[in-house]
Amino acid sequence: MREKSCRVRTIHDWLKEKLQSRELAHPRCQQIASEIFDLIYDVSQGRAGDAHLASILDLSDHLASEGMTPECRRLGEELSDRVQANREVFESHIQTHTCPTGDCPMLTPAPCQMACPAGIDIPTYIMLIGQGRYAEAIEVIRKDNPFPWICGLICTHPCEFMCVRGRMDSPIAIMDLKGFTSEKAMSAMEYKNPEKMPDNGHKVCIIGAGPGGLTAAYYLALEGYQVTVLEALPVVGGMMMVGIPRYRLPREVIDREVNMIEELGVEIRLNTRLGKDVTYEDLESEGFEAYLIAVGAHGSYKLMIPGEDDYPEVISAVDYLRRVSLGDHRRPGKRVAVVGGGNVAIDAARTSLRLGCEEVTILYRRTHDQMPAHSEEVIEAEEEGIQFSYLTIPKEVIGENGHVTGIVCVRAELSEPDDSGRQRPVPVEGSEHELSVDVVIPAIGQEVDSFGVDDFSDVDWTRRNTLRVNTVSMQTHQPGVFAVGDAVTGPATVVEAIAGGKKAASAIHRYFEGIPQPELPPVPVRRRRTDYFTVPASLKMDLKRPEMALLGNERRRITFQQVRLGMADIQAHNEAKRCLRCDVCIRCGRCVEICRDKMGVEALKMGYLDFDNPGPTDLKITAERCIACGACATNCPTGAMQMVDRDGERELLLCGTVLNRLKLEYCEICGAVLGPARYHDYIMRRVKEISPALVGKRICLECARRDSGKVHAEIVPPKERR
Amino acid sequence: MVFRQGQKVEIFQRSDDESWEDYMDEFIGMHGIITDPDTSKNDPDALIEVSLDEKGTHRFPQDCLRVID
Repeated sequence: MREKSCRVRTIHDWLKEKLQSRELAHPRCQQIASEIFDLIYDVSQGRAGDAHLASILDLSDHLASEGMTPECRRLGEELSDRVQANREVFESHIQTHTCPTGDCPMLTPAPCQMACPAGIDIPTYIMLIGQGRYAEAIEVIRKDNPFPWICGLICTHPCEFMCVRGRMDSPIAIMDLKGFTSEKAMSAMEYKNPEKMPDNGHKVCIIGAGPGGLTAAYYLALEGYQVTVLEALPVVGGMMMVGIPRYRLPREVIDREVNMIEELGVEIRLNTRLGKDVTYEDLESEGFEAYLIAVGAHGSYKLMIPGEDDYPEVISAVDYLRRVSLGDHRRPGKRVAVVGGGNVAIDAARTSLRLGCEEVTILYRRTHDQMPAHSEEVIEAEEEGIQFSYLTIPKEVIGENGHVTGIVCVRAELSEPDDSGRQRPVPVEGSEHELSVDVVIPAIGQEVDSFGVDDFSDVDWTRRNTLRVNTVSMQTHQPGVFAVGDAVTGPATVVEAIAGGKKAASAIHRYFEGIPQPELPPVPVRRRRTDYFTVPASLKMDLKRPEMALLGNERRRITFQQVRLGMADIQAHNEAKRCLRCDVCIRCGRCVEICRDKMGVEALKMGYLDFDNPGPTDLKITAERCIACGACATNCPTGAMQMVDRDGERELLLCGTVLNRLKLEYCEICGAVLGPARYHDYIMRRVKEISPALVGKRICLECARRDSGKVHAEIVPPKERR
Repeated sequence: MVFRQGQKVEIFQRSDDESWEDYMDEFIGMHGIITDPDTSKNDPDALIEVSLDEKGTHRFPQDCLRVID
């Protein structure tokens, strides 16, 4: 058996062993130790309140100092030491209702929540959306992410990659549901800020109004800090605003969510670049006591080919997208070559098309299947008419009269894989050719621009030219200076920056309060325990992930209107019903094993339980085979599998999904519940050798005993025992 | 190896890269899915995002990863 790594569970099991061993002879000692055990059990079940930990320690100390026997006192001392040494783990269990080790089944988080860098309680908000409680869903999301609407449109949604439903058919449309509920709540004017703490008098300066910086600003403002955000650009949002085109993320969405943060008293100073418009000394003189560097990665890598610096029509994708975002909608040229295969290259190409460029080609030096851009982005670009030239390496930008006229390229082929399995593009000799273009947009990567950051004398840089931090607390080497976002990770995702901002806010708060910084990444918090939807197994299986309606292709090619048009109410509600509720069912597989190996029934076909080798799933088959014995429900460690008798029927439910429903039978003599006929028949087959008097009768065991007594029936041992 | 979004991978060894943190030691042997590869230029030195089975999402250097599909 795997050794348990949760310290709460380890202490729980250790104390249980002590109690069972009868080592504690004195009844009073046993009583106190049992009380402590019950309290620790509560912690492992997510039922502990704020006073539990103090009570555990008080009782342990009481045992240690006033125990009736030496064993008793030793136990008290050891217990106190063990709990004290793992105080943070106990507190985490009590505060977050989560045990990320999986050793406390009731507290095991869903894979989607664990996968979300921001740790959003996804199953809870999905259930709330399914019930039409949109404002509550937003409230749950914003406990961990102040940008539900933005992330509902452009998140890279790692949660969906880990969604267990994806092992059955397709993952829940988590991102789309988030976008849907944000629109609903915002439109109904129910998207509200939580209450903030009173002003605590501390001033924090955040450099950069991107997702990381603004997230930290939001959580710090809620804690009562006076937060000022410096932004070099004339707009807020960072890369969300100037890196992601409007057809994916409308500006109004960013503005509305940023407004919510400003409502909390956060001051945002636009057009204020550190090192140019304001100095570190200026900020110190303003009384800022802590700083968060969130400047992003707005620099660009160069192609390093001849001609690159000679023409104004060679413009980096980051600069190009920024220029367009800031309102310059002039067509850059007629024929555009975008160099690169990532998301930024796709964005630059699709933007060019919308500005009226007649021919837009993406030049990529590897093959289609090695393109790092997300597949849905590539598909949408192809639909819109972007051309792709694979295995193409740019060699030189050429021009006349100071303007670009073309780009010289060579064809490439992929080499044999090297030791690491990597295939490299190798130029094909004699394949040089010229593409006639008038604009070249390199999109081959971004880097952090250190301008202004150098004012912080003690911050350190990594060999990747990113800021070095402790990634748990986001602290730099300079006391009181923290850093988040792309400046730390290099070009990464919005949700990672948000997660960093949340961690940094917590770390800055600890810095002011003098609380030691954590040593491990934060544990996601279970915000609520919501009810299930009661759904028939057939519906659960048959519901399909909704297809998002898209803007017509003609309009997509000529406007910046949002491409993805959102979900209808019925689609969202049905999508919520597809959720398997992995926050309750921890996929231990005990139900399947019991049914198959102990009962020999094999009524549960749930291949999705296995992460590495998922097999076929058929929830409908249970109704055909299940005898409603209840062995699965009895052995379920979390109560996900339940069996209930109601309205003359016995139901087997897995997190609300009705797997089986059978009519109940009653004892012919006393009227007691016998269970369904299928169960009764199963039992009869097993006992017919032992108790023949029961065969053919619908009577309970009690009546059968009486009946047998009346006719002096002898108990006949089974054949094999004779 | 060029990693792609959606591939199943294993953290098969500790990395000597400076971005490897002590708490990551407990992830060795675990399986996960690439959720955000290097999205710009297939740089073998880029840190890529992996969602580990029930252990959260983290960025790892590529020399500790291998594809298990």
